[in-house]
Amino acid sequence: MASVAHLEGWSSESATIAQIEEALLELRFHTGHGGLPDLRTNVLTHMAWVPAEWQRAATETLAGLGERHPSRTLLLFPRSGAEDRLEARVSLECHELEGEARHLCNEIVELGFCGTRAEAPGSIVEPLLLPNLPVFLRWRGRPPFRTTPFQELVELTDRLIVDSAEWPDLPGAYSELEEFFEETAVSDIAWRRTLPWRAALAEAWPEVPDRIAGPLAEASLIGGWLKSRAGLEVDVEWVDELPVTDEKSASDLLSEELDAFGRDPIYEESVRAAAATA
Amino acid sequence: MDTQSVTTESEENPLLEGLGLRRMPEPCILAIFGATGDLTRRKIFPALYALAVRKLLPEHFAILGISRTDQSSQEFVAHMEEAVREFGRDEFSPSVWDELASRTRYVGTDYTDESEKDKLTTCLTEMDEEFETRGNRVYYLAVPPAAMPILVEGLGPRRTTTGWVRLIVEKPFGRDLASARELNQLLQQHFTEDEIFRIDHYLGKETVQNMLALRFANGIFEPIWNRQFIDHVQITVAESIGIGSRAGYYEHAGAIRDIFQNHLLQLVALTAMEPPTDFTAESVRNEKVKVLKALVTPGPKSVVRGQYGPGFIEGEPVPGYRQEQDVAPDSNTETYVAAKLYVDNWRWADTPFYVRTGKRLPRRETTIAIQFKRAPHPPFEDLTELRPNVLFAHIQPNEGVALGIGAKVPGEGMRVRTVHMEFLYGGAFRVELPEAYERLILDTMLGDPTLFTRADEIEEQWAIVDAIVAFWAREKPMFPNYAAGTWGPPGAMELVEWHR
Repeated sequence: MASVAHLEGWSSESATIAQIEEALLELRFHTGHGGLPDLRTNVLTHMAWVPAEWQRAATETLAGLGERHPSRTLLLFPRSGAEDRLEARVSLECHELEGEARHLCNEIVELGFCGTRAEAPGSIVEPLLLPNLPVFLRWRGRPPFRTTPFQELVELTDRLIVDSAEWPDLPGAYSELEEFFEETAVSDIAWRRTLPWRAALAEAWPEVPDRIAGPLAEASLIGGWLKSRAGLEVDVEWVDELPVTDEKSASDLLSEELDAFGRDPIYEESVRAAAATA
Repeated sequence: MDTQSVTTESEENPLLEGLGLRRMPEPCILAIFGATGDLTRRKIFPALYALAVRKLLPEHFAILGISRTDQSSQEFVAHMEEAVREFGRDEFSPSVWDELASRTRYVGTDYTDESEKDKLTTCLTEMDEEFETRGNRVYYLAVPPAAMPILVEGLGPRRTTTGWVRLIVEKPFGRDLASARELNQLLQQHFTEDEIFRIDHYLGKETVQNMLALRFANGIFEPIWNRQFIDHVQITVAESIGIGSRAGYYEHAGAIRDIFQNHLLQLVALTAMEPPTDFTAESVRNEKVKVLKALVTPGPKSVVRGQYGPGFIEGEPVPGYRQEQDVAPDSNTETYVAAKLYVDNWRWADTPFYVRTGKRLPRRETTIAIQFKRAPHPPFEDLTELRPNVLFAHIQPNEGVALGIGAKVPGEGMRVRTVHMEFLYGGAFRVELPEAYERLILDTMLGDPTLFTRADEIEEQWAIVDAIVAFWAREKPMFPNYAAGTWGPPGAMELVEWHR
């Protein structure tokens, strides 16, 4: 893999959007080897809403994404309870390009929403989205579906990415998720993890097990999938391990979701069927 | 675990939908004629290995190498392992290789008498049983043109009764219109057109296919992609290398048969074609053929040929063509061709297409440059630094697209100069581009001929080449007429002022 260089830009404990935009512009003039400006090919804006308990996992996943999706990344950290202000840090992650003196640089904007700022993040995020490119929102943990912050960010988003395996109240929470299917395309990393399992079941068709066993989210989705696709009722047992897996990293799984566009009706039907079992 | 067996009215599997599984080729044997040749070593086996790494080969699959050289399967496999290690684009994985090697066999035969042909048929039948390949065959004819007829006449009557057969035919496809027609007729005596896959590896390149995306997926270009807005088109296929050890082939082919007849004319067709109604093989190839039919045969003043003399490449002295190994000291083979072509149809009437290809040019580059007409009346005084808008499609290297636009120079006054907006293919898509041969071999196994050349395309291409070669035959050229490391003979510059 090509080498990565992190270039610190600017940070503030009480920032304005104008200052962040200025810092981003300043970084645009960063020059690589040979005095040529580095490249900024962007294919999307990648937002991640990261409550404190998910910060470490989110950072590791982001690092693992590497250079795969040239984008502007907005890491959104809610910090309720603190004084009202917006913390910001702007940096560049630059990757070597084979045969090029210039680097390919991704912009990373980390925003700390302190105090009441976390209650209405939409107006802060919107000016920082890249125009005319898709916006992906990775929501870490269980989304508070009926709250203003969630709904504001979903309104700005072309695709919401969740991992329902991070939710404690399954399969009931699926009934709240399905309400958003008409508002935005939804990806579920737990669903992506079931792909090898689904492929194995499809390959065995028309022989289908009458009982399946797997982690709560994945097994619920498989149960819903068999019900919605083939009208099959199967017993679902909760165990820790997936029966079939290709052992992809969290970064690989997220990367695949960042390549997906449009709604996934088969997933949506599976979620509805899983919710109906709650 | 207990299972239930589902009975359904439909035979379709409802669980398959949405899995995004790639279409896998059906079981088959890939039989490579010319298996000890350079193409097999440099391109075909590394491509097969790359397909194996990505799990794109069918589960029931086997390879049979066929050539005159007498060697065992083990020796052949050892040579191919070296080739994959040297030319493969992936890190070498012993487990992937071992799996591929276990499915590889070799048979030494000159394929001239009936018993040899039957021996090969028996070998393939035995492999069918061993690898469960159901009688499906891809025959890859990586052999010189002279060897084609004997292979086609041998394979045709011995086709299996149980499976399908597909034939990959490497270039050169004939050496003129008559020989191409003869070869087409011979092929069509034994195989149907949808069984024949004529390779022009340029069409397998991602960035060549991106020309279709650029044109037909972007609403902004198509309305101005015509004679009203485009001043002219320049297509360059430049190589900095010489002929290496290919003198035996190149002396008879020259640049016009090696590059112009196939790659250059295909790029002209892709640039000038009308939007196809869909992306099926027939629709795309129908539109390309219409362009080739509409090409006006260029006269002698519209074609320039050249041959390189000694010169310098990257500061190193290099010999002239006539001093290359196995080249006749008085050779009149051209290593450079430039032509001014016209596509005589409603869209392109009077719009020149300048094409050029050559060896030992200053750099390796394949570019399509679309030069637009100047703004009719720029209201500025100082326009000395402003060039016309040019859209560059860089096929290789630095794959991508650039657009030259006029922008105000900061400061007093209104000076306008040209700047480049640049899209680097590898910058947006951070994956390594697959080799053309991977795509083309896989497409053959899948039976998709979209990126292969049809019989009528080949014949239209040769008709143009024949006309050019006919007037060349009347005049002895003054070769060499350009130094290695330069952009070709002076006459080519007179056709158009090439943009560098």
